[in-house]
Amino acid sequence: MEIQTQKEANATVVTITGRLDAVTAPEYEKKMNELIAGEAACFIVDFDKLDYISSAGLRVLLSTAKRLKTKGGQIRFANVRGTVKEVFDISGFGAIFQMNDSVAIALTKIA
Amino acid sequence: MIKVEHLSKKYDDFAVLKDITIEIQKGEVVSIIGPSGTGKSTFLRCLNLLEQPSGGSIHIDGMDMLDKKTDVPKIRQKMNMVFQSFNLFSHLSVLENLTIGQIKLRGMSQQDAQLKSLDLLRLVGLAEKAGAYPDELSGGQKQRVAIARCLAMEPEIILFDEPTSALDPTMVSEVLSVIRRLARDGMTMAIVTHEMDFARDVSNRVLYMDEGLIYEQGTPEQIFDNPQKEKTRAFINRVRSFNYRINSPDYDLYAMNAEIEAFCEKQILPRKTRHNLLLLVEELLQIYNPYLPATHLDLTLSYSEKKETLELVCENTGAAVNPLDKNLLPDELGLAIINNLAESIDYQRVNDKNRLTLMMKKN
Repeated sequence: MEIQTQKEANATVVTITGRLDAVTAPEYEKKMNELIAGEAACFIVDFDKLDYISSAGLRVLLSTAKRLKTKGGQIRFANVRGTVKEVFDISGFGAIFQMNDSVAIALTKIA
Repeated sequence: MIKVEHLSKKYDDFAVLKDITIEIQKGEVVSIIGPSGTGKSTFLRCLNLLEQPSGGSIHIDGMDMLDKKTDVPKIRQKMNMVFQSFNLFSHLSVLENLTIGQIKLRGMSQQDAQLKSLDLLRLVGLAEKAGAYPDELSGGQKQRVAIARCLAMEPEIILFDEPTSALDPTMVSEVLSVIRRLARDGMTMAIVTHEMDFARDVSNRVLYMDEGLIYEQGTPEQIFDNPQKEKTRAFINRVRSFNYRINSPDYDLYAMNAEIEAFCEKQILPRKTRHNLLLLVEELLQIYNPYLPATHLDLTLSYSEKKETLELVCENTGAAVNPLDKNLLPDELGLAIINNLAESIDYQRVNDKNRLTLMMKKN
């Protein structure tokens, strides 16, 4: 898995490439915690290049989102498609998170 | 007609046939199926002493094949054999291939032998090839000539040793239709074959051979529709299996994934199926993780080519517990994914092990 970050005017765009699974989930959590601790408050996570997600991946998405919420921040997901979307739908995550079809749309939605 | 008792055959210390006991009655068509290397052809070749058995007895119409006084060549005329590789004489014409045995072994006149041979060539649809040489024939035609030559000796029993294995798929049916016709006419036959549909509709009885034994036998319906033993079932359903053992909570997920992917690739499973399978396995391992310091986990993945089903069996030792019991799980995320990917989930306690059997949904 690779994580890239891009600072935009009103949010940090986090792009995940590859797999978010039991092996890589701690890496995502660590990176997000660093970003949250570094005072970033608004995030867009771009799933365009994510091929695979398991429940281990879902758990860290949830835990980081909760942590962000306690700090008054917000998070949106973009480009959740294919097999990743199926896992979101199975687990009910599709209804929990704010999701948009592209990063550009998500950026316009950030308050 | 054929009575075999405790037949065995060893090559040095390797036992190809361990203990074969069987009777074949007049007019019976018996197909012998099973994986390669389990002694099917050796069994057939032992029957007419092309291979010398290491033990046991063979009686053909009451005559002891292993008695030194028995006229084996005479019995071979009565119990003739058709080989995978045809074994025609390449320097003789088709007609001569048929007449030579009749003239030399049965003492027939050349004219009578030729008339009878032409009749037999008509029977197998090759009268117009009487003057051709084997090299001018297709594989299917060669095998039909070999069957006609076998019939020329007026056998009472024919042993077929994989008669279509050396043929292109397009030529298999022409040979099988000749054998079907012989079956309809009441010829006693023992047929080693890999053509399952053929074995199913031509036979009165099917022998499944494995481990040098007649592992299971029955009517075609019993063997093909309701096999009782595990290896027969695996063979009939063309099941391919893959095993993986997890010994510690620090297992290498990616190494295991690579092996599962290689197995799926071998079975030519679609990309989506592979993805779902890897997800299912990962979710299960997450759930099994708390148990792994104290027990190892055996995963068996079985793909049935015939049914196009994928089954995953997880077995672990230790206390009797269904790891998917939701009261034992910290959350139900993994279980939701597993329930969505599996068509059926069954937990059983078998031989002091927890066995979880999951059948994957078809895409």
